[in-house]
Amino acid sequence: MSRLIVHLDMDSYFASVEQQAQPSLRGRPIGVTGRPTERSIITAFSREAKRYGFHAGTPVWEAQKRCPNLVLVPGHPERYIDTTKLFLEILKEYTAQLEVYSIDEVFMDVTQEAERRGGAVAMAREIQRRFGEALGPCITATLGIASGKVFAKLIGKRFKPNGVGVLRDEDLPELLRRTPVGDICGIGPRIEKRLGQLGIRTLRDLGETPELLLRREFGVYGLFLRSVGQGYDPTPLVPYTDVPPPKSVGHSKSLPPELRDMPVALLVLHDLCEQVAGRMRKLGYVGRTVHCGFRAGSIGPHAAKQITLAVPSDDGDVIYEACQAILAAIPSHPSEVSNVAVSVGNLVERDRLPDLLFEEDRRRDRLNGAVDRIRTRYGSQAIRRGSSLLVKPLAPHVGGFLPETWEF
Amino acid sequence: MPEKTDIPIDALVVYRRTQAHPDLRSFSWPTRRVDVSRTNLVHAEREGDTLYLVYSVSAGKDHFHLRLDTRLGRWTLEEIEIGN
Repeated sequence: MSRLIVHLDMDSYFASVEQQAQPSLRGRPIGVTGRPTERSIITAFSREAKRYGFHAGTPVWEAQKRCPNLVLVPGHPERYIDTTKLFLEILKEYTAQLEVYSIDEVFMDVTQEAERRGGAVAMAREIQRRFGEALGPCITATLGIASGKVFAKLIGKRFKPNGVGVLRDEDLPELLRRTPVGDICGIGPRIEKRLGQLGIRTLRDLGETPELLLRREFGVYGLFLRSVGQGYDPTPLVPYTDVPPPKSVGHSKSLPPELRDMPVALLVLHDLCEQVAGRMRKLGYVGRTVHCGFRAGSIGPHAAKQITLAVPSDDGDVIYEACQAILAAIPSHPSEVSNVAVSVGNLVERDRLPDLLFEEDRRRDRLNGAVDRIRTRYGSQAIRRGSSLLVKPLAPHVGGFLPETWEF
Repeated sequence: MPEKTDIPIDALVVYRRTQAHPDLRSFSWPTRRVDVSRTNLVHAEREGDTLYLVYSVSAGKDHFHLRLDTRLGRWTLEEIEIGN
């Protein structure tokens, strides 16, 4: 018996949630953004705005030029996270084989459950009805049903918004013949271009290409590509109960023009290091590899390096010192920086390490613990490094992430 | 256009055992009483250990945003949008 996979994708998610919360926005073209300045980008568009051909990531100035009556709405990450929690609670009633792919996308394996719910399509319709009751009329979802994750996602995309798409076995050959390789999740523009150079344009072309050739060009990934080309998707579903531990913890920030001088960017970087360290302590990890990078100018190249610490750490100052060492090793420093990023990898559970040996380290550890307790009780802005007060607060992140301290 | 406010209000709510948050029925301040006709969205926000519930509700064509400080049990009207 082949698998029965459902891909659920919320329609124009952030914009729909904003329209649900603010009825005056309903029926109007809106764009959700972090900071409504001309240099910002728009994270999500409402259905009405999508008719202008917009896609996420369009700059504000371009969107306003093409659609002068576009309403810019500041994003509310808490609203999206809370709404996601609400719809996941509903989905958990249908199956435990639930993979939270992003804040607005979920895969479900309903192979066992579909029959007793009247079939996968009836189940999908029931989920849509319950979403309408629990979330409100503006927040809708499209569901795609197929034998694998890649095909469920592909077929769902063709029935947006608020639709249910089913890929039946008899329709598969036609789908493979007509679908360009770039439509598949996991085949980006670069791979699509390389496939095009090999004369591979559709999924059927992919399936008919010799395995050896694909393996030579793409390694093990070539085997996956060939399977998809033959209508078989072997990708396993990773249930939310089996989420692997994080491989790294990181933050990056795009800087507004007034914060792009290198000394100011370093203050932002220090703040990011503190945030990364705080998250690591909350998760119970220390890390050994610090990766730091920046983008020179507004469209310049991204320079990045990494360094390995002698002793794994979860201290913001230690991470920042490593970043300074990395930056010192980068030959030329630009006068203007538009993006800074830091991440810590090579993580080890803190409980597995021996106790700190030196009193100075223990003192720092107690200080970090005290800072964490203050922030837990009074909020993240309750205690801050003095130097960070020199920088005005940055726009909140509005992207499609979920907190790692996610609780079901 | 929504108008920002910061008005402490009295609220009439119903707690249901099946709902994660209380159901807001009506609210008032000295000069007005509003009967809620529809709850559009409720979401939680946390500042430190204080949990706030933010309500987006409608009364006819008027829309309101309210905040409940669950630690102190205090309600505040944060935004009013009078419909045409």
